[in-house]
Amino acid sequence: MQQYLLSLLIFIPLIAAIVVLFVPSVFQRSFRMITLSASILQAIIFTIILSSSSADASFIIKEQTTWFSIDIGSWGILKAEYFVLLDGLNVSLVALSIGVMLIATIASWKETKNQKGYYALLLILNTAIVGSFTALDFLLFYLFFEFMLLPMFFLIGIWGGPRREYASIKFFLYTLLGSIFILIALIALYISVHDPSAVPGKLVHSFNLLTMADPKNYISNSILDPNNLWMVGPLSARTWIFLLIFFGFAIKLPMVPVHTWLPDAHVEASTPISVILAALLLKIGGYGILRIAYPILPDAAVELSWIVATFGVISIIYGALNALASKDLKRLIAYSSVSHMGFVILGISSVTSEGVTGAIYQMFSHGIISAMLFLIAGVLYDRTHDRIINNYSGLASRMPAYFVMVLVAFFASLGLPGFSGFIAEIMVFLGAFRSASANGLIHESFAIIATSGLVLGAAYYLWTIQRMFFGPFDLKGIASKSELYDLTPREYILLLPLAFSALAFGIFPQLILNWINPFAQQFIEAVLSKGASLTSNL
Amino acid sequence: MEDSFQHAHGFLQTVVLLTLFLPLISFALSIIISYRYAWIVSISAPLFLLASAVCATIALFSQWNAPDVLMKFNWFTLGKDVFSADLLISNLVLLMLFVVALISFLVHLYSVGYMAGDKNIKRYFAMLGFFTFSMQGIVLSDSLLVLFVFWELVGFSSYLLIGHYSESINAGRASKKAFILNRIGDIGFLVCLMLVWSNQHSFNIIEIVGGEPSEWKTYASLCLFFGVVGKSAQFPLFTWLPDAMEGPTPVSALMHAATMVAAGVYLVIKVFPFFTPVTLEVITIIGLVTALIGGFSALAQFDIKKILAYSTISQLGLMLIGAGASMPEAALLHLLTHAFFKACLFLGAGAVIHSLHQAQRQAHAHFDAQDIRCMGGLSKKLRWTFATFVVSGASLAGIPFFSGFLSKEALLTSVWMQQGYFSAIVFLGFAIVSVLTVLYTYRLVYFVFLGESRMVKELPVTEIPLIMRIPLTILAVGSFWFVVSWSPFDFSGWLFEYSKTRAPIELTIGSSVIILVTLFFSTKIYRSGVAHTSDVLRNGFYVDSFYNKVSLYALTPIYRATLFLDRKVIDGGIHFSVYAQVTFAHVVAWVDRQIVDGLVHLVAGVASGIGSLIRSFQGGKIQHYVYWAVFAIIIFLICVLK
Repeated sequence: MQQYLLSLLIFIPLIAAIVVLFVPSVFQRSFRMITLSASILQAIIFTIILSSSSADASFIIKEQTTWFSIDIGSWGILKAEYFVLLDGLNVSLVALSIGVMLIATIASWKETKNQKGYYALLLILNTAIVGSFTALDFLLFYLFFEFMLLPMFFLIGIWGGPRREYASIKFFLYTLLGSIFILIALIALYISVHDPSAVPGKLVHSFNLLTMADPKNYISNSILDPNNLWMVGPLSARTWIFLLIFFGFAIKLPMVPVHTWLPDAHVEASTPISVILAALLLKIGGYGILRIAYPILPDAAVELSWIVATFGVISIIYGALNALASKDLKRLIAYSSVSHMGFVILGISSVTSEGVTGAIYQMFSHGIISAMLFLIAGVLYDRTHDRIINNYSGLASRMPAYFVMVLVAFFASLGLPGFSGFIAEIMVFLGAFRSASANGLIHESFAIIATSGLVLGAAYYLWTIQRMFFGPFDLKGIASKSELYDLTPREYILLLPLAFSALAFGIFPQLILNWINPFAQQFIEAVLSKGASLTSNL
Repeated sequence: MEDSFQHAHGFLQTVVLLTLFLPLISFALSIIISYRYAWIVSISAPLFLLASAVCATIALFSQWNAPDVLMKFNWFTLGKDVFSADLLISNLVLLMLFVVALISFLVHLYSVGYMAGDKNIKRYFAMLGFFTFSMQGIVLSDSLLVLFVFWELVGFSSYLLIGHYSESINAGRASKKAFILNRIGDIGFLVCLMLVWSNQHSFNIIEIVGGEPSEWKTYASLCLFFGVVGKSAQFPLFTWLPDAMEGPTPVSALMHAATMVAAGVYLVIKVFPFFTPVTLEVITIIGLVTALIGGFSALAQFDIKKILAYSTISQLGLMLIGAGASMPEAALLHLLTHAFFKACLFLGAGAVIHSLHQAQRQAHAHFDAQDIRCMGGLSKKLRWTFATFVVSGASLAGIPFFSGFLSKEALLTSVWMQQGYFSAIVFLGFAIVSVLTVLYTYRLVYFVFLGESRMVKELPVTEIPLIMRIPLTILAVGSFWFVVSWSPFDFSGWLFEYSKTRAPIELTIGSSVIILVTLFFSTKIYRSGVAHTSDVLRNGFYVDSFYNKVSLYALTPIYRATLFLDRKVIDGGIHFSVYAQVTFAHVVAWVDRQIVDGLVHLVAGVASGIGSLIRSFQGGKIQHYVYWAVFAIIIFLICVLK
């Protein structure tokens, strides 16, 4: 039992989804209870996994077995593994997924439209997300990764707002493009890598990400052989593949200029779906870059680090500027996500312990804070069905408790010390700046230019607060004033845990740094040493 | 012996931590208490702060002149790097701890009267406590990173306090401006942190400040000073401070005396050895420019609180001049004396506003209760307030026998002792600012309290309640010379342990004479009635309007452009490619329908045509068969017979 806990963690929602599909639609109310209990069960299992694991330096829990193995004659043997793993990189993200799915389920409590389909899709999405975060076999990862797309497409396209078809198709097309990039990389890597543990004389192709990360396992003269670079145009094949993986995940992240699906998807998606989208789906992008792009192609990563950093800085500033221009509250929050995910890219590109830790911390922290932000936008939308910032004024006197929650969420998001976002951003800044003297990858000016994102962040949030909460109370006729009541107990249940988490992880960062630290060290050593040795082969 | 030392250390630690955390507990309690029992807050908060002040006093007296103590705490570990949150206890820290705790307590006490009946009293006292906590954090921290944390938290608390009257649109605007301008300054601080981290790999101030000046230190200290410029409202980021007057008046008192703006100057004093000569010169120049701008602008204001705000800007500039002239002790001295008299002045101004508001409410009269043009002759009605206001005003003006005179002497001496033309200019500027200070202070006192009443009608103005008079009195007593030294003409007393420095006798005499002469002239100038003021001065040299223009004409087009880029270029590109694809699909569909299908239809048509032709041969009618048989025979015959 003990060794299958991780699989149980991944597949409990899928089992629950099947149960939901078999329960007759007459029992409408049972669906949300099933979904909720699946999430709670997941949380319990996760706690068991954490408490049972020895808290040693390299915190790793894994399950590994052969999934299938097909002999295709002279092409060798196609071998895929069922390989899931929990380590310093993904444990915080898995914790985040479980928490956010729980909150999203409670936030969906009032959903009435086709509940059976809704909850079944939510549960499938849950499995796909946790699976993506834990899969260490590229094929398995790709399977989970693709499986996220479909439920999300329907959840936006059926349960969304007025322009939901447009938004969901845009989301679908963008993500599909990313998937194709990753698929190409997957195939290229698959044909270049062989499994060293196989019987001698047999050519076993492997999808194992750890195998792919070791330069020794590349078949000589294959297209991605690091010792004998294939040139395709001006760049080597390895660099091309790095770019494919990077952009494939950058679409998910999302990174400027491949981000425009996000504002539309957020504006049209219902509150719980927005929460999942911002808090979890975006993180797959950053996670993929950290788990796949950098370790497998460290030479290309080191070579292109300044390009990666440039995209990060552009995302930070461009996202913030667009947030400043947004009139719709949800659109503003969506652009702020773009800006904040830019820090993840900048942190990764520095390949310093501060930068990488900051990037992982930022993903975790942004998960908490963006969930809170979208719930806050949802509170208003539930009451008035309007999200235009200028239509509100003087809410502070009318909804004092809501005002407090907005203050917490906004200030947490703009990086006020004491909240988790600050730790993440300061780490990214320190790492990005120190990179020049520590490993010479990116110039100091990247960090300095990125600081302007902090001022812009303060500007768009405080301007929003000023417009919506200060002054005399008015609704500009979008709804009658009596419809605006303060937070309900259910909304407190949703918002308070998030507020406290943002605070707790801002004051006691050690809570998750203990997990991240060993991973970050090993990640940096691997990328830098391999990157250096491979580049010196040229 | 070892044991007793440990015990004493533990005792000190407890007292210092209590001083730091009692305001935070006050904050937490104020948040937790339900709206129904909000009145509890106005009792609990001053008590917590009293306890905090008592702890600070105990710490001050038990540890004064003792060797510095470092209290070690680890915040978090990243890889092998430890980010510590050490607290340093030195004379400087103890003194500041005491002053902040005391003034904060007095402001809390005063607020009980001033804010009585406010419906957001919970939020008010909560943030007041948090403000104090953040400031004490700055005072105690020995880690530059932790200091930055509290530095930003001070900005956050001031944001909420300035915006306390949330129904007012101006309050929203002012609080936003304060936070953003501070944030711009904080960027400087952040860059300094990055420079320090990549060069020293440590944030402990003790480790950073040592060592020789180097190039990176010049950059880092300049960046750090930019943070100070934001927080201490120096040129060019000072414009938030006059606007911050939108907040409740006790908040202004706290902000100007002990927390917010004092934090910047305090930081300069705390990390003084970190500043390189280049930076010190920049500090002097900025300080001088700010002192002049503030002094001239204060001369032209009509709002009682704005006069004081510009006065603070000016006085902070003077402190920085002292620091720039390599005598941080002088800056500290003026910071401390300024804390008392400026808090007293603000609370006095608050008392005037409060009384006028009360009177307005009773008499149903309406006028701007902050405009000094609508006041006058209040000394007869607000005797107690008048007395404290004059005492603290005299201290601000630097009149002998008051604390402000001594601390300005110290600052002046620091400039005097420097050599060269540069310091001569600075000295001259300093003298001008001193004269200006006397002028605007007298103008303020005269317009508010002396002369004839200029109110629209006679109002039943009454003295403020006792709970507000107590803080005023204590602060006024703290504005006399004996808080600095026993001799009214020698600043090197028990506070200023700098035995080598004495003010030259000619300086003391000269400045006393100048100040008294200016005072004499100002009584003549302002007796003649309401002076006209220049628009340039009243608008603070239009720096603020300049920023508004910049944000309107520079920032707006930029974000409009990015929005355009997003909507039209990126999305436009996507839409175009999607439309192109759909159009192409339609073309393919047309080709499919018309050409491919057409060909198929053609083939089918031909086949069926031939088929129907052939089929028509076999219609089953005997006549047709006969006809075709005859026809065939004829053809055959023709062919054969030919």
